[in-house]
Amino acid sequence: MINPLKKIGAQFLDWADTVGGLVVMMGRVFANAAPWKLDGPQVWRSLYRIGVNSFPIVVVTALLTGAIMVIQAGMFIQKYGAYGLLGWGAGYSILREVGPILIGLMFSGRVGANTTAELGTMKITDQVDALRALAIDPVRYLVVPRVISMVFMLLVLVIIGDFAALFGGAITGQLLLGVDWKLFVWSIIEYIKLEDFTHGLWKALVFGYSIGIISCYFGMRTSGGAMGVGRAVNASVVGSAIAIFVFDYFITYAMH
Amino acid sequence: MIRVENISKSHLGRPVLRDISFVVEDGSNLGLIGPGGSGKTVLLKIICGLIRPDSGKIFINDVDVMSLKETELAELRKGLGMLFQNYALFDDMTVSENIAFPLRQAGTASEEEIQGLVKGLLQEIGLPTAAEKYPNELSGGMKKRVSFARAVIHQPPILFYDDPTAGLDPVTSSKIFRLLTQMKAEHGTTSITVSHDIDGIKEICENFVMLERGELIFYGSREEIEATDIKFVRQFWDASSDDELG
Repeated sequence: MINPLKKIGAQFLDWADTVGGLVVMMGRVFANAAPWKLDGPQVWRSLYRIGVNSFPIVVVTALLTGAIMVIQAGMFIQKYGAYGLLGWGAGYSILREVGPILIGLMFSGRVGANTTAELGTMKITDQVDALRALAIDPVRYLVVPRVISMVFMLLVLVIIGDFAALFGGAITGQLLLGVDWKLFVWSIIEYIKLEDFTHGLWKALVFGYSIGIISCYFGMRTSGGAMGVGRAVNASVVGSAIAIFVFDYFITYAMH
Repeated sequence: MIRVENISKSHLGRPVLRDISFVVEDGSNLGLIGPGGSGKTVLLKIICGLIRPDSGKIFINDVDVMSLKETELAELRKGLGMLFQNYALFDDMTVSENIAFPLRQAGTASEEEIQGLVKGLLQEIGLPTAAEKYPNELSGGMKKRVSFARAVIHQPPILFYDDPTAGLDPVTSSKIFRLLTQMKAEHGTTSITVSHDIDGIKEICENFVMLERGELIFYGSREEIEATDIKFVRQFWDASSDDELG
């Protein structure tokens, strides 16, 4: 029979090990993030793979998200005849909350999981050791370019996604609710403040950094063959999702 | 010179290596032999500083590897080359990019020189037309040869070969051993070669260490191993199957 105290203790040690590892990883990324230490080709490759390849899925998701939000709000807008508030309602929630959080989750599922699987496979096939044997710091060469690319690209994708979602909302409002798209745009310009937009961008920065650190950390500590890669990807996706919601709570609280 | 002193290592409470000591003289090739799971790869990784032992010391050219910080260790590794058991080629790079990688990272040679060296090495390893292929397009033997080329392109004075001929056909194995011999003859490299291919390793090593279940059971010259009366070593050396090994 398993001693429950022993199990709790082991679980706590495992948790402490993960938190400690994440903090050390953050420190090592910070120490190696100076521009002159970066490997240019690796950064460009990461930017391309992370950003360009994520662009279509983010645009499609954002377009549909904007459309869904307008459909959901449509019932009340029609009931109260508040057509002039449709753009504000959709814009406020998209820019502050729904845009960064949905794109962040999408990004973590696609890019974060991919990064963990890639680094995990490199780890179990000795490619990480091969770098070390060639006097190359794997954190500087593999992790830093990916984290920087994720921070930058999630920011860019959230900006693009915000506009795509507003576009989707405007089109849906016009087609389904008969709200003129010009009224929709006027409502956004009139009521949405710059800080509503930047609020979402702060979140994108923090989410990008969290996904980058978490996905790289779990990738770099993979062991145990193909099953180990599966476990690492699972831990990375769950960890990133938790981080997104926890940081979202604190940022929203702090910025109100 | 490589000096290994009283190295011990455990994993999950189970001893992997127990009190291993030996010396590899400059310009010589030491054969590290033993059954699978006896700790050869772990020992090789400890020697080049990829794994930390629980106790013991490693000296490379009189530098205590264990006392070095990661940055100092990286500096030391610039003089080492390693051929990994499972190739460890970078999947996202072509063959020529893989081979050129150590030199490009070191930044010590011009692109023209690098291209020339890569081309020459591709000829030597018999893969002149594979430059633009990716590792997943190569057979095991081809990957091994590319991995060898990457390990030696910066002409390190010390080389570690982890099972360079595992899973290869006899012709490719003989090619690999010929390349190892050539490397030593041309550059006077000091090396440690892990191999199960006794016939091949006999020809290229002067001294041998044999491990069994993490313990050193033989350390000596080729003449000594051929004359030894340690039954297990004899069986392994003669590839006898009279009794079950290990």
